[in-house]
Amino acid sequence: MLMGHAAFGQVMTAFAAAPRKATWFTDPEMATLKALVDLILPATDSPAASAADTHYFIDLAIPACASADAQKTFRSGLAAMMRFAGLDPAEQVVQLKARAAADMPLAYDQSFFKILKDYTLCGYFLSEIGATRALAYERVPGGFQGDLPLAANQKAWAI
Amino acid sequence: MATSNKFDAIVVGSGMSGGWAAKELTEKGLKTLVLERGRNIRHITDYTTALQDPWQLPHNNRTSTIADRAAQPIQSTLYLYDQSTKHHFVNDLQQPYEQAQPFSWYRGYQVGGRSLMWARHVFRYSDLDFEANAKEGVGIDWPIRYADIQPWYEHVERFIGASGENSGLAQLPAQILQPPFEMNALEKHIRGRMAAKFGGERKLICSATAVLSREHNGRGPCQGRNQCARGCPFSAYFSSNGVTLPAAAATGNLTLKPDSIAHSLIYDEGRKRVTGVRVVDAATRTTTEYFANVVFLCGSTLNSTALMLNSKSSRFPNGLGNDSGELGHNLMDHHNGGGATASYPGLSDRYYRGRRSTSMYIPRFRNVGKREEKFMRGYGYEVYTNRGSWTRGIDNADFGADFKNEITRPGEWSLYTEGYGETLSNHENRMWLSPDKTDSWGIPKIHVSMKYGDNEKAMAKQMMDDAVEMLQAAGLENIQGFNREVTPGSVIHEMGTARMGRDPKTSVLNAHNQVHAVPNVFVTDGSCMVSSPTQNPSLTYMALTARAVNYAVGQLKRGEI
Repeated sequence: MLMGHAAFGQVMTAFAAAPRKATWFTDPEMATLKALVDLILPATDSPAASAADTHYFIDLAIPACASADAQKTFRSGLAAMMRFAGLDPAEQVVQLKARAAADMPLAYDQSFFKILKDYTLCGYFLSEIGATRALAYERVPGGFQGDLPLAANQKAWAI
Repeated sequence: MATSNKFDAIVVGSGMSGGWAAKELTEKGLKTLVLERGRNIRHITDYTTALQDPWQLPHNNRTSTIADRAAQPIQSTLYLYDQSTKHHFVNDLQQPYEQAQPFSWYRGYQVGGRSLMWARHVFRYSDLDFEANAKEGVGIDWPIRYADIQPWYEHVERFIGASGENSGLAQLPAQILQPPFEMNALEKHIRGRMAAKFGGERKLICSATAVLSREHNGRGPCQGRNQCARGCPFSAYFSSNGVTLPAAAATGNLTLKPDSIAHSLIYDEGRKRVTGVRVVDAATRTTTEYFANVVFLCGSTLNSTALMLNSKSSRFPNGLGNDSGELGHNLMDHHNGGGATASYPGLSDRYYRGRRSTSMYIPRFRNVGKREEKFMRGYGYEVYTNRGSWTRGIDNADFGADFKNEITRPGEWSLYTEGYGETLSNHENRMWLSPDKTDSWGIPKIHVSMKYGDNEKAMAKQMMDDAVEMLQAAGLENIQGFNREVTPGSVIHEMGTARMGRDPKTSVLNAHNQVHAVPNVFVTDGSCMVSSPTQNPSLTYMALTARAVNYAVGQLKRGEI
């Protein structure tokens, strides 16, 4: 039994150390995506989006959840930004602002930026890091208190 | 016939009504078989997602995947549907039905039925409701009045445990309630402003909800998860699984058979009684007959009615108990298309803790004191308020550190309200069985045809206007009224297709939910309803069920059925 636990621990260590592989996006696409999610939700007093693996969330969730049109929009939008990760940070901000401005009038399924925002926020704020460190989260609050003074440092509830 | 197939009573369905029938029958000493078409779900043990965090669920609990939408095209449109609840809803492809016009039929085929996922609001009906059809010449008269059902409301409320606030208004009779959950700062503000403006005629109260604010019979209280539809490990809300079925099992008189689809009722022409139920095994599709002295149909409105329509004999060529021709007709649901959204910039120093699993409520005020010109009946509002969450960051062009800091703080207060309006009984709104198409178990497919009428449309407009007026009076801002199209069925209060009544020529059931011409068959789910008052109906189904069992067992003991 003890041996079993030790062996299990070794397996888990090896698993954690292995680089995570994307399932849907290519490595260059993942590099762009990582830069984008961190531009949207950078490290503040809580970790950045990529620290919560938000780009890997998107890699799994878009092919599983997004409509066929949204998938197509997202993939082609990402393909058009292939050199994005290599730009200097100020230029990244300029380009993403331009993209946001151009995309906001479009319908969701046709808007790369809207899809990106949706999945980035969902991926980060409902991850363990996002919900518990960027926001406040209680799995079992233990009851309901309807009217409390807002503490100075109070984060919003994750759900 | 095998002796093991013989019981004192059979209950078809294990949901809201079936659980109550099972509890009352077994507690009165009857050996009772409960037939459930879906799989077993054991209380707590089988609530597999109950305590999962968002990140433990597929895709952080996003509402639906492509595969979900393919398998559950109707169920996946429901507000309750997500990765934590989807296993409590049917696969629409495996459980098809035909829609003459769009009709959204949300179904939970499992032990506990929809009592696992219901919205838990429990209000009584009043004589304003029971007398309305007779006074206004709509449909037929209810064969009962408030005095007939009042002791049974009490009986049910004492057992299920509900919390909330009595309104003090005659149209919403006082109930046995635990203390309400607390209002938040905005709700308190609105309550005060409404009291000043409307003088008690329109008021904001905490809904009567079958969620415990205090311990009750070893259950609860609510732990503030607001994840009821996953099943509650604290037994804090009422479900068949957590409350009535365990009580029935404790008597030693309950036999629960999941995966058992009722095909038809067995009618004995000589004795003029139903002797049992033909049951198809959901997995093997073999047919077994079960026998009993009395049968309770609690399979939900459309399914109980379909079972009767599919029970044909030379005495009842058009379906069991269908001498009136009304079986399948008069289908109703509520409508909730009218309402408003708003925001409130003040009270930014107030917040809340925990997730309250109920809403605020504005009881009906139209057609109470004075008669409206544009429409009959009325509506009550559910009111939901909160402070902005991170989701307010999705639909804008912002990003970066300032953006992240802003949306991780509680945002402005916002409000959503929608009215729940009464739908008039209409013979043309109906369900029927396909003459030639069957489902996988050889049971005819259900067809549904329902449209809202002019009265509902006129009411919905006023529902929107009143919501806007009340929010203006309460000092809210950015008020946006809406009056959207509602797909019938989508309020999930389908009812009325085997209505009660005094006259066997115009109704299917008598004042005790007993089939007029087959006295050992009782129908106590939503199909019995004569009108569809504004209030949520489940409490009335439970009360009518307990009342009908009491009557049936009395008749059995006296040898009358």
